Amino acid sequence: MTRSVWKGPFVDGYLLKKADASRASARSEVIKVWSRRSTILPQFVGLTFGVHNGHKHIPVLVSEEMVGHKFGEFSPTRTFHGHSSDKKAKKSR
Amino acid sequence: MARIAGVNIPTQKRVIIALQYIHGIGPKFAAEIMQKVNLPLERRVNQLTDQEVLQIREVIDRDYQVEGDLRREVSQNVKRLMDLGCYRGLRHRKGLPVRGQRTHTNARTRKGKAVAIAGKKKAT
Repeated sequence: MTRSVWKGPFVDGYLLKKADASRASARSEVIKVWSRRSTILPQFVGLTFGVHNGHKHIPVLVSEEMVGHKFGEFSPTRTFHGHSSDKKAKKSR
Repeated sequence: MARIAGVNIPTQKRVIIALQYIHGIGPKFAAEIMQKVNLPLERRVNQLTDQEVLQIREVIDRDYQVEGDLRREVSQNVKRLMDLGCYRGLRHRKGLPVRGQRTHTNARTRKGKAVAIAGKKKAT
């Protein structure tokens, strides 16, 4: 189910302030974000956000294509490096 | 023999069924096309006049995206997600379910045939 258009995109308010501030300071530094649920807005393009994944902040350089997605989509919360090949089990056969 | 939208040549069957052999046309769009061309539901493909075949072709060309064009769009959408590096893209890359389904069991359509784990003991 898509979100109603009349509500507009959901963004946690403090992000707008932070984005403005970093634009004003004209320095490229990572803006730390815990709000994974916030939509990426056009005014965020070109900024770097450190999106929290529950463990640390993953740097995400926002590109034009990402507009409309949520921050959380770019910061995976699970790590899975594949199963190790269990040599012991093989030998015992 | 009726060639509609490229390579599809369904005959003998009723038109509404035969149209669904085209990639991108299912029950809904088939019914729509029947209405737009003003065909009775019981008409079969081999009973179509050349005029009607032409009309069907025209309607499909104008209003629907089918076959190659549709496939290209779908794969482009998937590619966009993969290049973006978002969660859905990662799932596509790994060939796992994209929409939050469980993968502990099932998910065989995306994961393909089950591969035996070497050295796993069978429960007795």
